[in-house]
Amino acid sequence: MSVEDGELERTLGFLEAMTLGGGTMIGAGIFILPGIAARNAGPASSVSYAIAGLVALLAALTLSELATGMPIAGGSYHYVNRALGGLFGAVVGWGMWTGLMFASAFYMVGFGQYIVEPIPGLDGRAVVIALGLAGLGLLIGVNYYGTDESSALQNVMIGTETAIVVVFVAISAFFIDAANLEPFAPTGAPGIIATTGIVFVSFLGFEIIATVAGEIKNPSRIIPLSMLLSVVLVTLLYIAVMLVSTGVVPVDRLGDSPIPVSDVAEVSMGTLGVAGIAFAAIVAAISSSNSSILAASRVIYAMGRDGLMTNWVNVSHPRFYTPHRAILATGGVTAVLILVGLRVETIIALLAEAASFSFLVSYSLVHVAVIVFRRADPDEYDPSFRIPAAGYPAVPILGILLSVVVISQMAPVIILIGSGIIGLGVVWYVAYARARVVDEGLLREAIRPAPAEPYRVVVPIANPETQHGLLRLAAATAHANVDRGTPELIAVNVIEGRRDAPLQNLESERADHQRALLDNAHDIAEAMDVRLRTRAIIAPDIGDAILDVVDEEAADQLLIGWDGSVGEADHVFGPTLDSVVERARCDISLVDLDRETIGPCVGLVAPGSNAAVVARRTAEFAAIDSTRPTLLYVQPDTGDAETDRRSGQAVVREIAEAAGLDPDDYESEIIIAQDIGSAIEPAIEPFETVCVGLSHRTDGSRILYGTVTERVAESAAGNVALIRGG
Amino acid sequence: MVPVDVSTPDPPRLDVLDVLRPFDVVLLGYFPVPDQAEPAMLKHEYEDEVAARLDEIAAGRGEVSEILVFTHDRDATVDRIAEEYECDAVLTAGDIEQLDRILVALRGDVNVSRIVSVVANLLLGSDASVTVLHAADESAEPSQGESLLQSTVERVIDHGIEDDRIDRQLVTEGDPRETILELETDYDLIVLGETEPTLRERIIGGFLSSLIDELDRPALIVRDVE
Repeated sequence: MSVEDGELERTLGFLEAMTLGGGTMIGAGIFILPGIAARNAGPASSVSYAIAGLVALLAALTLSELATGMPIAGGSYHYVNRALGGLFGAVVGWGMWTGLMFASAFYMVGFGQYIVEPIPGLDGRAVVIALGLAGLGLLIGVNYYGTDESSALQNVMIGTETAIVVVFVAISAFFIDAANLEPFAPTGAPGIIATTGIVFVSFLGFEIIATVAGEIKNPSRIIPLSMLLSVVLVTLLYIAVMLVSTGVVPVDRLGDSPIPVSDVAEVSMGTLGVAGIAFAAIVAAISSSNSSILAASRVIYAMGRDGLMTNWVNVSHPRFYTPHRAILATGGVTAVLILVGLRVETIIALLAEAASFSFLVSYSLVHVAVIVFRRADPDEYDPSFRIPAAGYPAVPILGILLSVVVISQMAPVIILIGSGIIGLGVVWYVAYARARVVDEGLLREAIRPAPAEPYRVVVPIANPETQHGLLRLAAATAHANVDRGTPELIAVNVIEGRRDAPLQNLESERADHQRALLDNAHDIAEAMDVRLRTRAIIAPDIGDAILDVVDEEAADQLLIGWDGSVGEADHVFGPTLDSVVERARCDISLVDLDRETIGPCVGLVAPGSNAAVVARRTAEFAAIDSTRPTLLYVQPDTGDAETDRRSGQAVVREIAEAAGLDPDDYESEIIIAQDIGSAIEPAIEPFETVCVGLSHRTDGSRILYGTVTERVAESAAGNVALIRGG
Repeated sequence: MVPVDVSTPDPPRLDVLDVLRPFDVVLLGYFPVPDQAEPAMLKHEYEDEVAARLDEIAAGRGEVSEILVFTHDRDATVDRIAEEYECDAVLTAGDIEQLDRILVALRGDVNVSRIVSVVANLLLGSDASVTVLHAADESAEPSQGESLLQSTVERVIDHGIEDDRIDRQLVTEGDPRETILELETDYDLIVLGETEPTLRERIIGGFLSSLIDELDRPALIVRDVE
């Protein structure tokens, strides 16, 4: 038995998600920034951290909903891309990548600083930069070569650094001198808000959980749990560190120190404290930088998958199987950013703020995205975690507002740099991506009202590339019914499986299939002026899923592909097809497309409820290649040729009228014979496509189809369509 | 189940599949994905190539179910697939050219009937002979070991195996692990019962699966499924 689609294993559990989110957040931010924060806002800088934590929490709530709805690689970028289309997708994608690189550079300079300052012999910015570069080089090297199952080491590192910080806070709390906390807010509210922008980089990390959502086990539960928990816990920790620091060491001294937390530890825990904090800071910087590099390559991959990034950068190393080009690109730019530190005094603050800017913009767009999703409400959007009713739309709107407020208080040079990055995303989209991207995003869906009276054709497609002809046929029949409603084509693909498989990444497969459907159906639908919707579904039973779609969409017609076999061992048309044909409550066309073209069509009609539908379909199909449809009727031979001929023609005329066809629209052919079955075979030979009716009656669980249908199906060399009115 | 790493350009020919014909074989082709890469990315790049490799291995080997998984964690995948497909036994690395002598190492009376059925199928499908070994704890009663061996041998015979193909051995001295390691060189295949609750511990790579790491010969681990 040959292999079907390869499976994708989900391997990251709750602990891994927490260390990824929380551990990345605890990077150089909390070890370096308290100095700058204290200088800019005094002891009230703890309020800055609280505000930043709130912004992060709002973003985490929104991301949790989106991520459980679409647990696939790419995180924020993917949701914005799907909701708002390629332009905003490119902006967020580039924003996230550059944001991660700025953050990485920030962590590595902090790393350098925490080695240089405590050690007496080393001094000077050049050494700090050099060490930062060295550390970065090491990380890039390790990631280039690739690691397997490094999560155990990661857990240990994060656990250690967190423990050290907690101990530090606990002990130093006893050394707080209340006098240091007065005045609490020397620079007032503007100062606090400006500081929020600087320290926000310390909260980068929880969204990485969403970026690797494709690899997280049991995503519906673990993603929201780990994201929200990590933000809350880390925020509390930061506030504690800030209060303790400004309480133990006077603000002026704190503000001048490049390693502020270490200085506090010196007061409360002596040399041991300094060593401990330095160790924790170094470990934190390395692990956070590492996570950022990993996240960056996921974002780049996700962009490539959607056509927004060249595939050149997503090639994997032939031996190590790592995305080496993406890793090198990320490392290269990060190194340049670190090098800028040789020229720029305040490089740390600059990098931190720029990273914060990028991510604040991304989060704002994510909030917009969730609003768009809720409004457009695509059928496949069914997140297991929803922002509670009380929180919607408060959470996203508040999130956007706060982000804008924080950004507005940032230093002008940062706003300049940040806008430059956004501009880069726009330029990239216009220059490169626009031509390649098909998916328009849901924005139009959210805004555009549903058509008043649609005529809907549902066509299940298993393989969009090979079933091009089927799509064309479906679009044509929709278009031909324009007098009965606005033509709408719904292309459906069903992947067999459990919708929320906790250990497998089926979401990635579903997204692939959706894209393939869109790629292949888009042109057809546009050419025929038919409104197109694609639905890729994961369901345990394909037949049931198709019927659900037919019901949900109130379809007027269901057009299914069929392999032409009738009456096999335990089924009539096919195991899936049988149940669908039996239960679908609309017009059905079961089509076996053997040929590339539809060509001349003949419809076999006979008095009965199906006849009109058969005639109509025949006419619709014939319109594809602009031929005149032929309606063929076999009149039983009574011996009187003349009467037989006239009766036959009357029958055909009646049926055609019922189908709404003018006498000019079709050819009629009457055959007079005793044995209908054998008369039909030679009669249909000259035609490329045959339409024949399918009985309504069922015999228990078997669909009756009659000998005529069977003979036609077996003997016809061209395309066969079995038609039934619903 | 036979797991095979399909990321290597020259995967083993797995002649063991011929030996395992009496069984329904699930051929699990796993592709180890480094932390740095998203499994979906490697799937896009390599799926066709790797699926073809798997087809090649399975070709002409009878009824083999092929499964392809891209995973960061091979052990987790082996566990999951073994559960899903209700596999009785999992083969560790190594290839068998021919099956002449099988060593069955019994720890106790856990899971014996399943082990017996696996062994019986191996014997029915080949000309091999089997030695049932019980390496008892030094503190245990020797008669317990004896009766365990006796009943096991009888059950194998009940499956239709001639009794001259079955040998038994009771070892009461020394470390059971060492005993097995000493004896294995005389055999082509070792059959072990899983005693840990999860299969993960036993398959290559686990910290505690020291025995399997040190085995030269391929081993068939019979799962304990309750």
